[in-house]
Amino acid sequence: MRRTFTYTERDLRRWIRGRINVITSLVMPAAWLIFVGLALPIRFTDNYLDFITPGILVLTMLGASLQGGALLMFDKILGFLQKFLAMPAPRESILFGKILAITLRGLMQTTVILIFAIVLGAHLLDPVFIVQTYLILFIFGVLLSSLMTTVALGLEDHDSYAAFNSMIAMPLFFTSSALMPYDQMPGWLAFLAHLNPVSYAIDAIRDLQVGIIPVTTIGGLLIGAVCVLSMSVYVFRKATI
Amino acid sequence: MAIIETFGLTKHFNSLVAVDEMDLSIDREIFGLLGPNGSGKTTTVKMLTTLLTPTAGEAKICGYSVATQPCEVRDRISYVPQDMAVDMKLTGRENVVFFAKLYGIPHPRETADEALAQMDLSSRADDLVKTYSGGMRRRLELSQALVHDPEVLFLDEPTIGLDVAGRRKIWEHIISLKNGGMTVFVTTHYMDEADHACDRVGIIDKGRIVALETPNALKSLHCHDIIAIRGEGEYHGTIVPDVTFIGKIGDELRFKAISGEDSGIPLLRALSDSGLKVQSVVIRQPTLDDVFLSLIGDQDETVAFDHHRFRTMLRRRA
Repeated sequence: MRRTFTYTERDLRRWIRGRINVITSLVMPAAWLIFVGLALPIRFTDNYLDFITPGILVLTMLGASLQGGALLMFDKILGFLQKFLAMPAPRESILFGKILAITLRGLMQTTVILIFAIVLGAHLLDPVFIVQTYLILFIFGVLLSSLMTTVALGLEDHDSYAAFNSMIAMPLFFTSSALMPYDQMPGWLAFLAHLNPVSYAIDAIRDLQVGIIPVTTIGGLLIGAVCVLSMSVYVFRKATI
Repeated sequence: MAIIETFGLTKHFNSLVAVDEMDLSIDREIFGLLGPNGSGKTTTVKMLTTLLTPTAGEAKICGYSVATQPCEVRDRISYVPQDMAVDMKLTGRENVVFFAKLYGIPHPRETADEALAQMDLSSRADDLVKTYSGGMRRRLELSQALVHDPEVLFLDEPTIGLDVAGRRKIWEHIISLKNGGMTVFVTTHYMDEADHACDRVGIIDKGRIVALETPNALKSLHCHDIIAIRGEGEYHGTIVPDVTFIGKIGDELRFKAISGEDSGIPLLRALSDSGLKVQSVVIRQPTLDDVFLSLIGDQDETVAFDHHRFRTMLRRRA
């Protein structure tokens, strides 16, 4: 476990020293919040900002996780991973370190977005709600960053990683319940949205907003995260370069 | 028991035989693996460092099998690949402390300071690595590799891309590590460096070890005297007794002879008769470069660039 924190510390230090990355990673979700949350002419709810904020929080986490896989890709291209794999530290600590770094990074970004949303007028101040939201975002982050880190381990170079990334990013977001509730969607989209892990995270946060504890959706996310994580551990233990 | 032992070590990549039935026994010395690009050097190192699984055969480090006891092997080795991977945005000290923590060393900070001092980096330890020169970055990698006091150090092209002073310094450090009892396995294609620093060298070609000796033994075994001739005109394969053509480097023809003094004049005459206008003749002691040339031949002149093979190699590196 100590090895995991060592790997995480390295990635976070590098990220924070590249100050510009910290800022640029916040621009996209903030833009969504302002341009979509405040500007879209919506009729199904009076407070679209309250409705869209869970979607944007999950979008921020999704973006952080998708970008996060590139951390491992660069370690691999630049030769760091070869050194790490030849070390006695358990190999899965490389994976866990990346997941933790990516997810913590994502949580820092979502914090900024959350503050932003509250400033803009979203009603999200309840501390219990915020803690539970963080928990959901954490599980979601573990699921996605574990998947992307393992994908990066398998792919050949950064170009193919970027291609894979853009292939899944937009479909995952638009076939989720981020932008509209299921009853406003065409039937086929609602069907897809019910399968999408992104919707699970968003729906769970929305349930919290109205005071429901979303046991099944969190359970679904947890099961997904555990499955993906065990698969990733297996792949990392076997990894050759 | 030797520190590094391999028995029939073999690696195939689909139809490409990268390493073919390699038998080695290396013990507390600097062992240099020399060979042209694509001859299997890096693949060998990757198998010995547990990064690749051998297709056949066996390799043991300190008595532990790389295939079935990789964790025990990783405990005893350090591997510095040729890419120079150090974190530019961290300081030299942070880079080494990071490795010390990964190795689970009891006092990471103190140990890191020692390793930095050992590589003469103490005065710059708190500067960001992006301000380091190439030679300093390589020494920083050596510090990282040394924090857990390994028994075997694997270095893949340790001096590639460094200036002359940087190279000399790296080799001084490698030699002092060996004198401290460490086994060093190094790949290189700088012959002069291998000649000067390695206790034994193995020359590898197309995955096979074609020669394995001390540099001096190799030189006296494979070449006696070297006659190097520069001239105008084509070489038509003229040969005189006791002289063998070994290759052409630039516009210089190289021959090996049992006695350069005895064969020099007849060779010159024969070359002039065949129409070559000789401009200069040098008779000298052989270098490892000559041994390499006579064993492997002149790669650039004889073998066309194989694009497919090159891409396979790159992919393997990535």
